[in-house]
Parts: sequence; structure tokens; C-alpha cells
Amino acid sequence: MTSISKPKAPEKKEQVHRVLLGKKQILVTEDEPLLVQLERAGIHVEYQCREGYCSSCSIKLLWGNVIYPFEPLAWVQSGYLLACCAIVKSDIEIAFFD
Amino acid sequence: MSYSTFNRKHFDSTKEPMFFGENVNVARYDQQKHPIFEKLIEKQLSFFWRPEEVDLSTDRKDFQRLEEHEQHIFLSNLKYQTLLDSVQGRSPNVALLPIVSLPELETWIETWSFSETIHSRSYTHIIRNIVNDPTKIFDDIVTNEEITKRADSVSKYYDRLIEMVNLYNTMGMGTFDVPGRGSIEISMPKLKKALYLTIASVNVLEAIRFYVSFACSFAFAERTLMEGNAKIIKLIARDEALHLTGTQHMLNLMASGKDDPEMAVIAAECQDEVRQIFIEAAEQEKEWATYLFKDGSMIGLNAQILGQYVEYITNVRMQAVGLETCFATKHNPIPWINAWLVSDNVQVAPQEAEISSYLVGQTDNSLDDSDFDDFDL
Repeated sequence: MTSISKPKAPEKKEQVHRVLLGKKQILVTEDEPLLVQLERAGIHVEYQCREGYCSSCSIKLLWGNVIYPFEPLAWVQSGYLLACCAIVKSDIEIAFFD
Repeated sequence: MSYSTFNRKHFDSTKEPMFFGENVNVARYDQQKHPIFEKLIEKQLSFFWRPEEVDLSTDRKDFQRLEEHEQHIFLSNLKYQTLLDSVQGRSPNVALLPIVSLPELETWIETWSFSETIHSRSYTHIIRNIVNDPTKIFDDIVTNEEITKRADSVSKYYDRLIEMVNLYNTMGMGTFDVPGRGSIEISMPKLKKALYLTIASVNVLEAIRFYVSFACSFAFAERTLMEGNAKIIKLIARDEALHLTGTQHMLNLMASGKDDPEMAVIAAECQDEVRQIFIEAAEQEKEWATYLFKDGSMIGLNAQILGQYVEYITNVRMQAVGLETCFATKHNPIPWINAWLVSDNVQVAPQEAEISSYLVGQTDNSLDDSDFDDFDL
């Protein structure tokens, strides 16, 4: 009897990106939205719905790329990101209110 | 001109602006100019709840044990919210339905207004539960000076738009002498300006004015008091967060000129006035906080902290519609409120303990017999 084992998927290399916030620097992965990762780093971000419709967690995106696996219901102003559902795709710099 | 409940003209509604184009005829959603409004409808429907689902029996006992100045805080907020939702339960329909031109937006307006009527019914549910004579409370809404001052600012833009649209629908364009009101000029730019300011003031109503009450309700609940009320407020806050997205989309679509190029010009002209609407509302809400706490504060909250929260939330909302923020408060002074405002753990019925929006009778149609192959009894 021969057993067929599925070829192992090549181990996915975890993509890590830097998030600059003022003088702080936080490392984030592409596995989760930005909001939870900022919170874990001890940064308070305003939030409410946490599913993309209330726009409370809108943060300035100074440079860099983020994507939305699901298009959020909230209007995202150009130059801003919605932390609860944005996946960081490159090093980015963000800012809260001026 | 004159409104028709079924416009006989043949036209492509995807080419119409959101407002002041053709009256909607066929309520069809297979083709949409702005699909976002259909998505908002779906979300709102998934949020459906009934006040009676929330048990308030312990709130009655809690309320009797509150100190007098805390009862004042609680009841005043309820009265204010009752006022706000009385306005919101009817005004989007009365003011916006006669001028809307897209079927998906028309239905969003109706869905939105309907959900506000649930809020109004929930206030009666709460008030009935905590006092013996609800009439005293409801009557005070039209006589209490602090409340009526607010009634004027939340209804004046709606009322002006309704008045102008009525004239437009009966008389058309021109300047008209209205007995008791003086001469009123009706032109498309004037109508559009009245509309833009109305949407801005509604955004302020739902995105800022509710939040002082929300904060107080949750501050009681932090002390495990009036928890049934807090559950209802959580459901209301979830709805309001969706509604404010609706008005943010309308404002941003108008300002972008993508929907109606003329509206972009008007939005630019109105920017200072809109800023003023936000600032004025924030100042009124701060005054309201002072009135609430006139006889004493409550644990965890006082007029100053609440005032800072109003400034903070106003900044957040101004930013969302592309306005420069205007208050110095850059941090949320009551960050614990977000744990109450978060909607993903709202529980109204046992079957939805984990998710707040669910579809009834969902079945997986892609199953076939082979899916049960490794299933033994």
C-alpha cells in the first residue's frame, strides 16, 4: 500500500512591514488588519464598529500601501486609511490628528 | 417641478444625480449609480432589533436607587434622545423623498428613517419601565427650555429645505411672498445649498449630538447600573454609526462633483458654513453637558471630561467629511467608551451571542451527497 502524502506547501515567509508613527516604529504583518496590531503595540486608536462602516478608525496615511480584502462601507478619504480593515502591504507612515 | 409618485418619463436613473433630478419611478436595484446605498440597506436590515427583546426589569430597581442628580442626568438624556429620534424618524422621509432621484438612495432613506422609529419606540419602552407616569417625561420635551433650544437647531435646516421644496413643487422657480415668512427665493442653487446644509446638520446630529447621551449611559453601565438601558443604547449606537456613514457618503459624493458637478461648487461655497454647523453643535453639546451635571457629577464623568469628548469626537467627524479639525483635544479622554460602542458583540437574542448581524435561514446550497461520505452514525 502506498500512501500518498500531499506535497507540503512551501512555508509562507511572513511578510513584516514597518509602521512609522511619529517617533515610534511598529512591526506589523499582513495576517491581520492594522488596528489590532497597533492595539497590541499599546497604541490607542479610536474605533467603534471594527468592521469598516463607521469610519471612526480613519488614520492619515502619509506614504506606503494598504489594501482592503473587503471593500469597507465607510468613505475612505484620499490620504487616509481605515485601520480596522486595512492590511499593510509595504512600510508605511501614519499620523493621527495634526 | 410637481412631485409625482410614479414618474411616467422614460429615463436612465443611473444618469440622474442623487437629488433634484427626475422623480424616481421604478423601484429597481439591478442597476445602481451608487451601490453603496444598497449595501447600507443590507447592513441596516441585518441589524434589525426590537426594544422588547431587551429585559429592563433590573433597571427599574437601579433607577430608584440612583441619587436625584443622577436621575436628572439619566432622564434628561432620554428626553434629548427622544427629541433627536422624533426628528430623525420622520424628517429624512419628509425632506428628502420628494427630491431624491435614485431608487437605491430612496430606499436607503426609508430604511434609515424606519430604524429611527425603532429607537423612538425603545425610549418609550425604557421610560415605561422606570417611571410610573411617562407623560410627565414626554411633556417636558416640549416645555423644557434646555431641550427646546436644541429642537430648534436640529430641525431648522430640515424645515427650511421642506419649505423651499414645497414652494418649488407648487410654484416652480422665482421669488415668492409667503404670508408670515416674507419673500423666499427659489432657484436650483438655493435649493441645492439648503439640501447640502441639511445633510451636514443631519450628519452632525447623528455623529456628534447623540454621543453625550451615549457616554452617560455607558458610564452608568460601567458601574453595573441601568444595564438594560445600556444594551439598548449599544444597539442604537450601532445603527447611528451606519447612518452617519450614509450622510458622510452623501456629503463626500456631493463635494467631489462626481454625482452632480453643480453640487461640488455649492459644497465648496458652503464649507465655512458647514464648519460652523459642526462647531456650533459641539458648543451646544458642551453646554448640554454642563446642564446635565448642574447638580452634581457621576463617577467617571463630569462636564469637563464630557466637553473634551465632544471636542474629540467632533474632530473625528470633521475629518471624515474632509474638513480641517478645529478643537485642541487630540486624544479621547474616555477611551473606555469604545468598548461599549463596539458593535461586534451586541447581543439581542441567544442565537446571536457572537455576531450581531446574521442571516436567518442561511443554507449551504453547494452540498452534495459526497460531503457526507465520512459521516458515520
